[in-house]
Amino acid sequence: MNHAGPVSARKIRLLITISVILVFVFLIRLIDFQVVRAEAINQESYEKRAVARTIPAVRGDILDASGNILATTVYRYDINAAPAIVRPVERKIDGIAQVVSVEAVATELARILEVDVAELLPKLIGKSHYVNLKKRVDAETHRQIVELEIPWIFADPHHDRLYPNGAVAGNLIGFVGTDGEALAGIERQFNACLAGVDGKETFEKGVDGIKIPSSTVVIQQAKPGRDVILTIDADLQYQAQQVLAAEVKRLRADWATAVVIEVKTGRIVLAAEAPSVDPNNPGKSPKSERGARVFQYAYEPGSTMKAVTAATAIDTGYATVNTQVKAPSSMKVFDRVIKDSYSHPPTKWTLTGVLRFSSNVGTIKFAEKVPAKTRYEYMEAFGFGKPTAVGFEGETQGVLNHYTEWDGVTNFTTMFGQALSVSPVQMASAYQVLANEGVRLNPVLVAGCQDDEGNLTAVPKSEPTRVVSANTANDVMHVLEKIVEQGAIGQATAVPGYRSAGKTGTAEIAEGNGYGDFFATSFFGMAPVDNPKYAMGVMIYKPKRIWTNAMAASFGYQKILSQVLLANRVSPSTGKSPDLPTEWK
Amino acid sequence: MRNLSRARARGPIVMIVVVGFLAISILHLLLTIATSQSVYELSDLKREKRELDTTSQIIAEEVASLSSQQNLLNTAAKLGMVANSNPVFLRLDDQSVLGKPKPALNSASQSRNLVANSAMIDTKPAKNKTTPASQAEPQKLPQVASVSAIPASPTR
Repeated sequence: MNHAGPVSARKIRLLITISVILVFVFLIRLIDFQVVRAEAINQESYEKRAVARTIPAVRGDILDASGNILATTVYRYDINAAPAIVRPVERKIDGIAQVVSVEAVATELARILEVDVAELLPKLIGKSHYVNLKKRVDAETHRQIVELEIPWIFADPHHDRLYPNGAVAGNLIGFVGTDGEALAGIERQFNACLAGVDGKETFEKGVDGIKIPSSTVVIQQAKPGRDVILTIDADLQYQAQQVLAAEVKRLRADWATAVVIEVKTGRIVLAAEAPSVDPNNPGKSPKSERGARVFQYAYEPGSTMKAVTAATAIDTGYATVNTQVKAPSSMKVFDRVIKDSYSHPPTKWTLTGVLRFSSNVGTIKFAEKVPAKTRYEYMEAFGFGKPTAVGFEGETQGVLNHYTEWDGVTNFTTMFGQALSVSPVQMASAYQVLANEGVRLNPVLVAGCQDDEGNLTAVPKSEPTRVVSANTANDVMHVLEKIVEQGAIGQATAVPGYRSAGKTGTAEIAEGNGYGDFFATSFFGMAPVDNPKYAMGVMIYKPKRIWTNAMAASFGYQKILSQVLLANRVSPSTGKSPDLPTEWK
Repeated sequence: MRNLSRARARGPIVMIVVVGFLAISILHLLLTIATSQSVYELSDLKREKRELDTTSQIIAEEVASLSSQQNLLNTAAKLGMVANSNPVFLRLDDQSVLGKPKPALNSASQSRNLVANSAMIDTKPAKNKTTPASQAEPQKLPQVASVSAIPASPTR
């Protein structure tokens, strides 16, 4: 024992020394791992496990003036399967565990997804971990799938765009692509407002690649998009589309448009057309019907331009409502013969009569003294030849050549709406000037961009501009009232109880080097004359029935105007129109 | 003896350390269990929120479909309602009638929807089991008080 004692003590000391050294080494290593390089190691480890993912921002809504949703964002789900792990499904039915065959499960899936089971079943065979069964099913369908509790079925949620009212204002709203990219209309024009800012999150995955529960860390919250508030009334827009669709069918026309502008604000109450695209399914409409002709199509307006010519002549002092002309039914201008729409002996018309009977020759007679430069400047001031302040995607500016480019004939034909072109909204805007005592307000389609808290960033208002004097505007409006009072077409546009005014237009449509057989017939006007609230116009493009005069547009005009007046509770008119002679002796 | 007394003196300290260690371990265990429970609860609540969000979206889509103009027109037309574009007003000042009363025309633009909407959800009610009229029990009419029981004329 005595012999072993000192040896053991030495051994113990040696052991302790080695242990201390080892502990020290491990301690240093531990400090190195846990303190010195801890952050780098953690980061390296996290990067191996972590997966970054974008949190898509919810796109804002598009609302009408009353807050009705025209476009919103919803979730849709891609239903996928992992064929590699497809096997019969165990279920408890009435508390008893039962095994449901793959074929039976596939039949259930096919019924819910509304696909052919013969088409679905082969997709479930294979070694793949991903196969898509159906894209973008709605939440109800997704829920039914989830309730089946199939372990080899999973779903990928996506944001999708829903237009609850379908084609109502579809021409204005536009649409987005399947990838969420804004492709047309307000969706595209106001994308900066509607699109939010995507967020970012990470989650950790295990060795098998499956997400570790509760490992999600949001790096940056997604910021939702804001809402776009339109000026249109969705109910009236729908009514107008209904009327136009019926008229297009009745008249066998190519298409039709209607525009109503609030006289005192310039706000567009409706800008309808038929046919119109359903943004839920834009692929179903031909390309020509996916836009907004109200803004994007320019046509030669024809006689509706005579109101502008009359306003110019009166405002410059070259004419009054009683200016007397003697107009034959045709006259030779340089190498061309200009005719009225019907044959008549030389007639002693006042300016009122010229517009009442829509005489091209009479219009030349009272307006020929107005210099071309002056007429051009007035047309510009009325808003022709440039896009409106709406700045709609692909909006046309129409064609208004500079007066120095007008030849001898063009100088005259521009007086009655030929050799220039306008969009329906431009013409409605010109009638807004006449209804608003000569003051032009730029048309407004979008009131502004509104955030979650209701803060509205209004679209900047443009300054009102005086185009003609109040007396001139009122004079022309009273002349146009005679057309509604006395003309057969005008009378067809009248809404009982209200005084209204307006002008017919039967415009030829340029084809090749000349004009085709069909017309763009229109009626533009304002109501009520005693307190103008709305300027509006209806245009029917190439009607095959009633194609030679504007009667085609009158029925739709009357129906839409009556709905606009009634829906907005406009008081019936009082008083009578001033006495304006149409002929002289 | 000295070692023994030292060992006795250390006894309570060791006990305190051991008990303390055990207490901390148990506390830690309890806290871990509580935290785990909360995580499960949080997970359940998140799942419930997802479910409610989905339900909310389903209902919102159905409401939007039902309140779409197309559905309203179809429903109104089924009830025989037609818009009249010939309004008539009675002016109270002079009791004059403005406009000419005309019956509303049941035209194409008013009787059926012509504006496409592929987002409309088919909300046809489930077919109820009906009973043939011959087999149905006669409806019981509500009891009405006899005229003679009314003490005085209900109107003046």
